[in-house]
Amino acid sequence: MKLGPKAAATALTVSAALALTACGGAANSGPAAGAAATALTIGTIQDVRSWDPAQAHVGHVLQPYQAVYDSLILREPDGKLSPLLATGWKYNDTNTKLTVDLRTDVTFSDGAKFDAEAAKANMDHFKKANGPQLAQLAAVQDVAVVDADTIDINLATPDPALEYFLSQAAGLMGSPTALGTEGIKTEPAGSGPYVMDKAGSVKDSQTVFNARQDYWNKDLQKYQKLTFKILADITARTNALVSGQVDATILDPKTGKQAEGAKMKLAANEVDWQGLLLMDRDGTKNAPLKDVKVRQAINYAFDRKTILDQVMLGQGTPTSQPFGKESGAWTEGLENHYSYDPAKAKQLLKEAGYENGVTLEIPGIPNFETQISVVKQQLADVGITLNVGAALTNTFTSDVAAQKYTTMYFSLFQGEPTVAINQIISTKALYNPFKNADPELDAKIEAVRTGGADAGKLAQDVNKYVVDQAWFAPLFRVNQMYYHNSKVDVVPQIQQAVPSIYNYSPAK
Amino acid sequence: MIRFIAKRLGSGLAVLFVVSAITFFLLYMSSGSIARNILGDQATAEQVALKEAELGLDQPLVARYFSWVFDALGGNLGASWFTSEPVANSLASRIPVTMTMVFAAMILIAICATLIGVTAAVKRGWVDRVVQVGAIIGDSIPGFVIGVILVTVLAIQLGLFPATSTISPESGPDAWVYSMSLPVIALLVNGVTGGAQQIRSAVIKQLERDYVRTLRSRGIGEREILFKHVLRSAAPAGLTVLSLQLIGMLGGVVIIEQIFALPGMGPLAVTATGQSDLPVVMGVVMYTVGVVIVVNLLVDVLNGWLNPKVRVS
Repeated sequence: MKLGPKAAATALTVSAALALTACGGAANSGPAAGAAATALTIGTIQDVRSWDPAQAHVGHVLQPYQAVYDSLILREPDGKLSPLLATGWKYNDTNTKLTVDLRTDVTFSDGAKFDAEAAKANMDHFKKANGPQLAQLAAVQDVAVVDADTIDINLATPDPALEYFLSQAAGLMGSPTALGTEGIKTEPAGSGPYVMDKAGSVKDSQTVFNARQDYWNKDLQKYQKLTFKILADITARTNALVSGQVDATILDPKTGKQAEGAKMKLAANEVDWQGLLLMDRDGTKNAPLKDVKVRQAINYAFDRKTILDQVMLGQGTPTSQPFGKESGAWTEGLENHYSYDPAKAKQLLKEAGYENGVTLEIPGIPNFETQISVVKQQLADVGITLNVGAALTNTFTSDVAAQKYTTMYFSLFQGEPTVAINQIISTKALYNPFKNADPELDAKIEAVRTGGADAGKLAQDVNKYVVDQAWFAPLFRVNQMYYHNSKVDVVPQIQQAVPSIYNYSPAK
Repeated sequence: MIRFIAKRLGSGLAVLFVVSAITFFLLYMSSGSIARNILGDQATAEQVALKEAELGLDQPLVARYFSWVFDALGGNLGASWFTSEPVANSLASRIPVTMTMVFAAMILIAICATLIGVTAAVKRGWVDRVVQVGAIIGDSIPGFVIGVILVTVLAIQLGLFPATSTISPESGPDAWVYSMSLPVIALLVNGVTGGAQQIRSAVIKQLERDYVRTLRSRGIGEREILFKHVLRSAAPAGLTVLSLQLIGMLGGVVIIEQIFALPGMGPLAVTATGQSDLPVVMGVVMYTVGVVIVVNLLVDVLNGWLNPKVRVS
């Protein structure tokens, strides 16, 4: 058979297309990755939005910033605050001025020098840039340069979490010459242990860092090369970990089983709590919720241990309190304040005059379907009907703020006491949309805010109040399942799902 | 022909305009307070208001749409609200990944489906029955399931391929081939089985036509009849089904890219839609509509070229 012109043309087109496909890669050839012995690859859930330090976030998205930016204060894995760029810090008597002494021997990767002016420039920029953690410096009135290596941070109101914030997003120090420029959004300029290899990095795919040659603090620089591989999908993260493409990543109890089968190690850490937020405590939209007995009855309805074992494969600890174990506000006595007691729940409903039942409406939450169906069943057992509405969408923050929900099932971060108060308890908190308040509670909150070093202990009173008043129905604190292979040692960091970058080291 | 192409391009542009308007207004209505989404759950009302002004969200909706249209006509698709990355840059770095995968899969589908379909149509008997049964099985397994099985067996247990993409600026063509192999296989199984079915029935239908009997009666060889006459007449059906598959693949590829962590359009589309990152979503939608228009146009042109009977004046 002879090929007609059209068949030949078709064949040519096909081979040209194939050749083109192959060429797509050829242009990208370059040197292979080296220094394998001291390279670390971490699987992360998302890329950073901007490398501007003022846009830094908490949790998962703080870690990459730590690679390139030193913070003023270093937070040790156990939560202890240690010097980093700040050599020391001290409050005045009224806790309204924090004087911070700074190092003078540090330079940024672009050559600029770190000093008091640079620290002030960073904090001024942070307050102006409207980043996601702006609230961290909400109490700060201004920053004054005392001398080349000292600043005064003047506060409008005392904030016991300020020192902690200076170990987080608000404490990250970028080069003063790069702050506010377009360049820093895509290429960080910090004084940290690593510098970004921009040519090797691809947005939303991987970010590559090399050790900074003349870094001042070799203790924090444990690898020659550091790569963040962005793996949004949990199946992809599991596969990448067990096949050795990444050294460490965050999974969940179910995928964790697969990782354990491949001999991966677990660095578990309780960071969030899950349970019901009983938000309409004045009964504005759902009258029965005004009665504390109804809210307590809801708390007595849950067999927390069984739910945890069944739904979370036992990865966590049942609890009745919303404050985290390391916050200082946590107390042993509140842990099992509401034990499983359906009879008592029914009794309380009867006393409150709701023996014929109560109806709660909650929104559905993607990925929490199992928990919600178990909660629904256990509430039904004591005579409470749970109606699950449409699932939360990306509009949920504005919906919550607009009092759309009287009750919701949620997973929330457990941070420092004032962080938790600002998130779920104070009248300004997003998760207190009905602005429930009480003079007794206000006084307790005020005591925490002005309590300085005693803030944690004083927050125990706030914790006790919201547990007694059943503001919430916490079920359990859940384990973050952080897995790594045997080439790397990983120390969990309190209150963080993923450890700080300093907590990884080559296995001994 | 040129008039035909110009007409199709014109109607394509109209579609692009209509889709962009619908997407823009629908997204706006379903996305709540975008500024609050960007700033997170600890932001104050003042912060939200400031961000809205920064993004121009305090402008009237229609004005914002037309300013987007004029910018887009000038080649400026704007920048992501979340990352400030220009949308054009995002698309430029991701389209090659997705398109390489889709076109590699399509070419393989075209070749395999034609071979299998023609063989089944010509041989009939047990070969045909095997192809028929295989088509049902192949059609009933979703691509992402095939993907997960492939990763587990070929990447994790046997270590023949990387479990997730290794494509990076410093990787050579081998990384592309290795990283793309499993996703392409996952993508093409459904296409091959579906395509083979269509081509088989189209070829059988042609083989039963009178002109084939006439050709045979004139002593023309079976191979020439098949390749020169039957295949050409059966081509439009095959091309149409291939173009539909390609368009369907733009959806399927989203999940495949997530599983294999390929830096293509899929993850971008998922993230941007979830966050209501309007400029990026608009960019993704424009790309998708663009691909659909171009593919449909190509198929029409190819059909006319292969088969004068369907040529449009």
